Amino acid sequence: MAARGRCPECGSGSLVEDAHYAQQQLVCSACGCVLSEGLLTTTYSDEEHLREVAYSQSTGQKEQLSRCLQRGSRRVQDLCKVLQLPAAFEETAVSYLRRALQHPAFRLLSREKKELLGGCCVLVTCRQRSWPLTMGTVCSLLYARHDLFAGVYLSLQKELGLSVPALSLADLVTTHLNSFRLLQPAADVPAAFLEDKEQLLARTVAIVELASQAWLVTGRHPVPIVTAAAFLAWQSLRPGPRLCCPLARFCRLAGVDLPPPAHLRLKELLEILQGMASQLSWLRGFPLDRKVVVKHLGELLQHRLFLLKNAFSQHGEEQQDTAPGQGCPSQGSGPPSSPAGAQQQRRPWAGPARPGGPRRPLLPPCLLQPRKRPRSAPSAAAATGDEPISDSELEQYLRSPEEIRALSRARACL
Amino acid sequence: FKDDFSTSPHLFTPMSPYDLELPTQTASQLSQSKELLTDFSSVDLSFLPDVTQDNKEQNLSEDGHETQKELIGSLPSDEDSGVLMDESSLSHPGAAQPSPEASDICPPLTPMTPLTPATSASESSGIVPQLQNIVSTVNLACKLDLKNIALHARNAEYNPKRFAAVIMRIREPRTTALIFSSGKMVCTGAKSEEQSRLAARKYARVVQKLGFPAKFLDFKIQNMVGSCDVRFPIRLEGLVLTHRQFSSYEPELFPGLVYRMVKPRIVLLIFVSGKVVLTGAKNRSEIYEAFENIYPILRGFKKPS
Repeated sequence: MAARGRCPECGSGSLVEDAHYAQQQLVCSACGCVLSEGLLTTTYSDEEHLREVAYSQSTGQKEQLSRCLQRGSRRVQDLCKVLQLPAAFEETAVSYLRRALQHPAFRLLSREKKELLGGCCVLVTCRQRSWPLTMGTVCSLLYARHDLFAGVYLSLQKELGLSVPALSLADLVTTHLNSFRLLQPAADVPAAFLEDKEQLLARTVAIVELASQAWLVTGRHPVPIVTAAAFLAWQSLRPGPRLCCPLARFCRLAGVDLPPPAHLRLKELLEILQGMASQLSWLRGFPLDRKVVVKHLGELLQHRLFLLKNAFSQHGEEQQDTAPGQGCPSQGSGPPSSPAGAQQQRRPWAGPARPGGPRRPLLPPCLLQPRKRPRSAPSAAAATGDEPISDSELEQYLRSPEEIRALSRARACL
Repeated sequence: FKDDFSTSPHLFTPMSPYDLELPTQTASQLSQSKELLTDFSSVDLSFLPDVTQDNKEQNLSEDGHETQKELIGSLPSDEDSGVLMDESSLSHPGAAQPSPEASDICPPLTPMTPLTPATSASESSGIVPQLQNIVSTVNLACKLDLKNIALHARNAEYNPKRFAAVIMRIREPRTTALIFSSGKMVCTGAKSEEQSRLAARKYARVVQKLGFPAKFLDFKIQNMVGSCDVRFPIRLEGLVLTHRQFSSYEPELFPGLVYRMVKPRIVLLIFVSGKVVLTGAKNRSEIYEAFENIYPILRGFKKPS
């Protein structure tokens, strides 16, 4: 802190208060001349120049942690303990929480949402360190509403400018299968249902990879896909006794929740596998139903790249399907020249592919079964915004006096 | 035959061979490369292959009839009309490629209206985003009695406990307006800027007819929403890997990828089906520019046919 006054020797104004062996001295920083030293007491005139520093402006205020930060840190620590995360995660999560609470957008959040902030920080930390943690898990641990959590998470990502990598499905499979009870002997689990973890894991990962190549994963919630894939893998490892076990029973035995979309994912997976099975030459004689597919799942997965390529036409090959000698004429896709200006008609592709028939394109299911009809673009109505507005057009929007009277009478009765 | 592949997961590798060339470009680099491309407007294009039967089919199957429609690409806002003409001349031979003599004929330069942007020298998408919604505000500059309006107008609803404004709708153009007691009004639902202005004027006239001295001040378009379809499925997982600083893809929350483009400042919702929604624009040109910026990125994630 530079004091007032000038050095008597060199005349410079840069005086510094320095300490020489803990004795305060007023020194000129240009020539080193000591102006005064050992100021233990101040005179009344000196005190006039001293300003009182309020506690709120001193650093003591900032060093004290606010109550919500303390509460939030405790919650983060508890979460990390329950999830058995490494110690480094906890520090990172708490630092994110501190940064977030300094942000004006989060300081004024409702109490309900502040409680979710700790969970969001933990989720971000886990994602950045490739630790597969789903939002569903965090929500259930915090007893949080899913939409509230989603809102807080997205605003946290935006305000702090964090780049959060996407959830890795391979890791998610590993942690999800860890919670399955079918992997250890238990009282209510028949011996035929027990499964070795490594084998189940490897096969489930393979099925999930196949699903992602077949466009079943993009845009969808990951957990139902993993559940359906685990079910198929488990069935195929010992089809005999397990084929009759439905998905719901499997989930109950495994001790996991059955997410509602899992049935649909299972159906889609089976459809893809049936298509692939149609290309295996030694399965030509068999009817392509679920049982055959599950029994031969291992072989289908082993040759999945080749089978996928053969069973389904890649995008862009649709137009070449009408080559002569391929498929029944009644099933042929539309002529290559689509009508001018209109979108390509996407016929819903129902049923499994037949060998020799036209191949279904490998597209996301939302493109194969479009729920909405493409709407034609509306014709340009107003050329400028300044057309004259006719009174008669506006009359239709005004109530007549009789209507107003009737309405007021009706309102008075209510 | 035996496929010999390792079990290392190729879960989210983009399928196209172009992913190696896709740099994680910042937005400034994107616009820079665009400027470089427009500089090629004077380059001789005779190296383009002659139109053979295969080319013709490929053109027809890939781009369909967009190339035969008027090509509309993106336009940096401060480009003068001289360059516009150049680009239109070099793009038209590409447009007319299905006809064999196209490369020799230079079609007459059609004068471009300032609102329709020109094409760039490289491939243009040929897809025009359709405007779906325009939100605009206007100041009627007089205090309004909302209960009175709700009583005297047929197309108005007013529930002060739920929302402090009258919700009024008209049929042509099909729009909805929120009219506040301060005299400010928000008009939503129009499909073009002119329709939004016309609708706002109609609402103002209705308020005038109800006996208030309404004016029409400070009409401003606040937000424009457009949508289009790129016609091929998109690997969202790959896109979020290469453009991490702009994209946010949370399949647990929302099936689409949210891409926040920096220049122009537009938010795009990209879905696996190839449909793209663009929002946050104040002008039509921002939507077109944003789409022309995203289209080459999306093409990089198209599986090669």
